[in-house]
Amino acid sequence: VRSTFSRRDLGRWLGAGLVAGPLAATVKAAPARFPGRVGLAALAGPRGGAPIPPTAARRALAGALVAATGAASAEASARLLFRPSDTVGIKLNCLGGRNLAPRVALVDALAAILGEAGLATERIVAFDRSSRELQRAGFTIRHSGGDYLCYGIDNDYDPEPSTSGQIGSCFARLVSTTCTALISFGVVKDHDLAGVSAGLKNLYGLIHNPNKYHDNNCDPYVADVLHHPFVGGKLRLTVLDGVVGQYHGGPAYRPDTTWPLGVVAASTDPVACDAWAWRTIDGERTRRGLETLEQAKRSPRFIATAARYGLGVGDPSAIREVHA
Amino acid sequence: MSDSLSRRHLLAAAAGGTVVTLLPRRLAARPDLRPGEPVSSEDLPAREASWYRKLPERRVECQLCPRGCQVADAERGACGVRENRGGTYTTLVHGAACAVHLDPIEKKPFFHVLPGANALSWATAGCNVECKFCQNWEISQFRPEQVPARYLPPDLLADAATRARVPLLAATYSEPVVFWEYVRDTAAAARPLGVRTVVVSNGYIQERPLIEVLPLLAAVKVDLKAFREPFYHDVVRGELKPVLASLERVRKAGVWLEIVVLLLPTLNDSEDEIRDLARWVKTNLGPEVPVHFTRFHPTYRLTNLPPTPIATLDRAWQVARAEGLRFVYLGNVPGHPAENTFCPGCSAVLIRREGFLVRENTLRDGHCPSCRRQIPGVWS
Repeated sequence: VRSTFSRRDLGRWLGAGLVAGPLAATVKAAPARFPGRVGLAALAGPRGGAPIPPTAARRALAGALVAATGAASAEASARLLFRPSDTVGIKLNCLGGRNLAPRVALVDALAAILGEAGLATERIVAFDRSSRELQRAGFTIRHSGGDYLCYGIDNDYDPEPSTSGQIGSCFARLVSTTCTALISFGVVKDHDLAGVSAGLKNLYGLIHNPNKYHDNNCDPYVADVLHHPFVGGKLRLTVLDGVVGQYHGGPAYRPDTTWPLGVVAASTDPVACDAWAWRTIDGERTRRGLETLEQAKRSPRFIATAARYGLGVGDPSAIREVHA
Repeated sequence: MSDSLSRRHLLAAAAGGTVVTLLPRRLAARPDLRPGEPVSSEDLPAREASWYRKLPERRVECQLCPRGCQVADAERGACGVRENRGGTYTTLVHGAACAVHLDPIEKKPFFHVLPGANALSWATAGCNVECKFCQNWEISQFRPEQVPARYLPPDLLADAATRARVPLLAATYSEPVVFWEYVRDTAAAARPLGVRTVVVSNGYIQERPLIEVLPLLAAVKVDLKAFREPFYHDVVRGELKPVLASLERVRKAGVWLEIVVLLLPTLNDSEDEIRDLARWVKTNLGPEVPVHFTRFHPTYRLTNLPPTPIATLDRAWQVARAEGLRFVYLGNVPGHPAENTFCPGCSAVLIRREGFLVRENTLRDGHCPSCRRQIPGVWS
């Protein structure tokens, strides 16, 4: 081993710095660790709407994570994706209320797995647009203490807008500044305008003005949010609570158009996860004699756009389901 | 949650301070809400929107602005201030004022409406377009729950104007179309008190709501963002054609109309475009409708452009005058001679302005003191 540091070495180091600096500044989205792969684990809802036992939630989530990553355990999956020094934001989709939001038991299980992977309690933040929405979905607001923090963005946005493709938005400071890693934790549901609301549409909750971007089936706007460095550069995992799916009438909860899908899905490829949700919703619509989303003229085209951006696999037929 | 006070919050807090002093100390419509009290849109009584139709499966179609948003249950229209609640379309901003100030009417700008008067000016959050150059984006491009607001129902707003001893209320700052019911009800409450209501709008509104509210208004100023559809599509996220239709409707209704065109370097400032615009105004609205060309300053999503050169504004003024428009003004250029009103008959200076200040007004009963020509406007 050389102990001296030559001028040539110095030149290399400086050169690397000159190159790496601008590169780091322009990195947009990290490629998925396992492109096209969606892990699935069975999780049936108890009869009568009773809460899911924590052990069952944990088992299903762990199974989905292992299936998504091929790691030996849920903890190993989490270690693969996150470092103890990360601050991980878990974006929940609570718009549908208690009946159509990620279940508290599943979020608790995810936070526990992250904790086992070495993340401190205060480095795990489950959040949504507002604390009120979280509370309506059954979550307890915590700015400190507990197994993880849980609170709404509650208007804490960047003071200036930031542009990505066709969107120009103020991002939640939680996302732009606080968190170093993100998890999108959505549901599997139909959306009147977007076609599908799963992991990607959930990301609209990160910007202050999603109402401006629902034209043209939210295309390319959803993909543009994902493409922003604040999001694509940090999003490492998508989880979907598919205990119940909604095949029509979303985004609001409609008990007459839900069905017991009975799965938890996980993927490091956010585009593939949405493509899987699309295929799943269309399958149920077809079984019930409804038009497919494409026939209904609300195909989630933002999925193909996100794939074109190089953010994941968007072709539903190219998705590889891996069952726990 | 940040402990810092954003500009948006600061503006709203300052606005609240202005108006609270003007309000009577009596209970508002809801016993738990006091006038001037900070209010969240979620705390306001749900109020059904006036212009929409119900669709199957609890969906609705908004009939307020030309976007015609079809909105599913639990979703909002593009304006962000109207929400479908179980099949009933609801306005979230009726009575939720996020900005209230006393402004000179010249600031709107209206140059032919009670020169030198002050207007109690108010706004709610939200807008139905998204101009990349919006000067008030910190309230117009946010949803009601994101902007601090105070509870100011229409009757109290009208009452506040009388307490402030101003003859005018002005719906302005963001986009009055999105709080059109609030405008209507405030104008109706203000009229018996001798207070007139004016509106500063983008004109992007459907025919029926416009026609229904126009009789309650004293004047309308429309921001004509450009005279080319691609600009409206790319920079405004709106459409030109419906705006032109609104201009014609306002004029036809006999409500005083002024037009403002913000000139953005390289985007809407070509001589051809300004000539086309001036010709259209002269032909379809008449040569006596005032047109203000105003200077752009970089903001919001257009920070890459320089301020509009004065030479560009001067050229626009010349083109519009050459096309036969009689009242052409330049704005955001304090001290420029084109801030003044000249008599089209004898060229005498009738109203001398500096910025928002009226330095001299020689009009007599709306007539030129030199040649007795009648000058159109709302003068008394």
